[in-house]
Amino acid sequence: MIGLDLGSTRAKLVRVVDGEVEFRSEVISPRWRELLDMVEAGESIATTGYFRHQVDGAEAITELTAARWGIRRLVPDAEVIVDIGGQDTKVQDLRTNRFVLNDKCSAGTGAFLEMVANYFDLGVEDLAAVASEAREPAKINSTCAVFAMSEMVSQLGGGASQADVVAGMHHSFAHRIAELVPEAERIVLVGGGARNGGLVSELSSILEVDLHVPDHPAFVNALGAMEYMTSSSPKV
Amino acid sequence: MVPPELVFGCGHTPHDLNNHVPTSECVPRAKLCAWTATWRDMLLRGELRVDRLVVVAGGDCHNALVDGQRVAHSGIPTHYFFYPFDGNEGEMRDHLVSLEAFLGGITDQAALDGVADIKDLCIQLDMARCRRQVLGSRVFNHLIQLCDLGGDPERFGASVKRALEDRPSDVPDIRIGLVGVPPIYPDFHEVCESFGMQVVFDELPWEFARMGGRTLTTMARNYAGYTFARDLEYRFDALERELGRRRVDGIVHYTQYACHHVLEDDMLRERLDLPMLTVQGDLPRICPEQERLRLEAFAELLRGGGP
Repeated sequence: MIGLDLGSTRAKLVRVVDGEVEFRSEVISPRWRELLDMVEAGESIATTGYFRHQVDGAEAITELTAARWGIRRLVPDAEVIVDIGGQDTKVQDLRTNRFVLNDKCSAGTGAFLEMVANYFDLGVEDLAAVASEAREPAKINSTCAVFAMSEMVSQLGGGASQADVVAGMHHSFAHRIAELVPEAERIVLVGGGARNGGLVSELSSILEVDLHVPDHPAFVNALGAMEYMTSSSPKV
Repeated sequence: MVPPELVFGCGHTPHDLNNHVPTSECVPRAKLCAWTATWRDMLLRGELRVDRLVVVAGGDCHNALVDGQRVAHSGIPTHYFFYPFDGNEGEMRDHLVSLEAFLGGITDQAALDGVADIKDLCIQLDMARCRRQVLGSRVFNHLIQLCDLGGDPERFGASVKRALEDRPSDVPDIRIGLVGVPPIYPDFHEVCESFGMQVVFDELPWEFARMGGRTLTTMARNYAGYTFARDLEYRFDALERELGRRRVDGIVHYTQYACHHVLEDDMLRERLDLPMLTVQGDLPRICPEQERLRLEAFAELLRGGGP
């Protein structure tokens, strides 16, 4: 069985055999069809993400439902899921079945971190290491990603180090997400953004709670789509 | 809402400017809420023409008070219509009398009665969707027009009767209530239906149907109960009753960017013990992909798609 999370920036595949994850693969989203080459004849496919309806014969569900199912398997006692994706951030309170999305402002999405990384000619995965060397994180007050970038440039112009500015951006980014998160003891971070240790640390500090990041957080929704498909839940 | 029976009764044809907004391509300047700013700019640019303007300036939409004055400065005779916050029927009657005077007095009681008859039919139509006898989108498209009856009560009434007689082949089984101002997306109800959700309650259009009357006294009594203009407890009590009566599975709270009603979202969530999705629109356009995602996820949730 195959679970596919065809997200806005990255496409992820998981294969489960006898209840265990056998294989994971990931490509940039414009190349998501390459993942279909890994599907064996007759294999069932469940999809989620922006391109979920593009795969013939697959069972498609939204990322929100996929995240719930993925987390049920990985962190059964989770209360809140924070899914930091490329184009939006989704927060679900599993206690009340309510969810909020930040998709009108890129300051709380993975796209924001990419802007920062691109400016410094770094990979997003390098940002946490750079931020860890900060001595005095820069203060970035703007709530708009574009203006935050302007502030960042101004800080650099004023003599702030790259590390201080990147750390400041992490803090600003984490604050935007924290505004969406309800108070809870067991908060789980998933999505590509959860792979950024600097962000996880900042968010944890702001929320004053230890955040749980499952192994392979970017693959949770792909796994969840497949879990949903194999469940006996009423299908949409 | 400007009482349409009074406008027809005074020998005029009402024309609800809001009904032009969802399909408008006008991009308003200096806007807060796109609903009012769009009709304001359409009037100022001559894309819509009216002889007189009546603005609901109190107890309903706060932005309309300013946008209406902007139009008034362009020279269009304008009247400001107010709803009393405390539901005082005497005060409501005074506002109706003032509006009647602006419109030149009641000259056609038959026209006024005709609107009341059509509203009675619309109440039947509104309840028929709760029995899955008509699609929610079709009901909404009628009720939302009760502000002006498309300018032609006879034709509008015939359309309501057809909607009551027709039986759709398939009606979605998830029942949702749509609370707040009407969506600025013209296809919102159809999108809900595409995800298996039947809108069985539209808050404001429901008000349009149930308020009315054949005399100034009965109109004053009914319009004084306009819940959108009253204190929140009064409105929430009414919502609780109506949502319960219609046995909704969940609520979609539609909010409009820069509208003061956005502030009510948390209070609604605290008060109404039902799954609730909040959607916020801005400019008129077909329902954007992000909102479709929310609606699809909400449908999955209501259908039991959660572990």
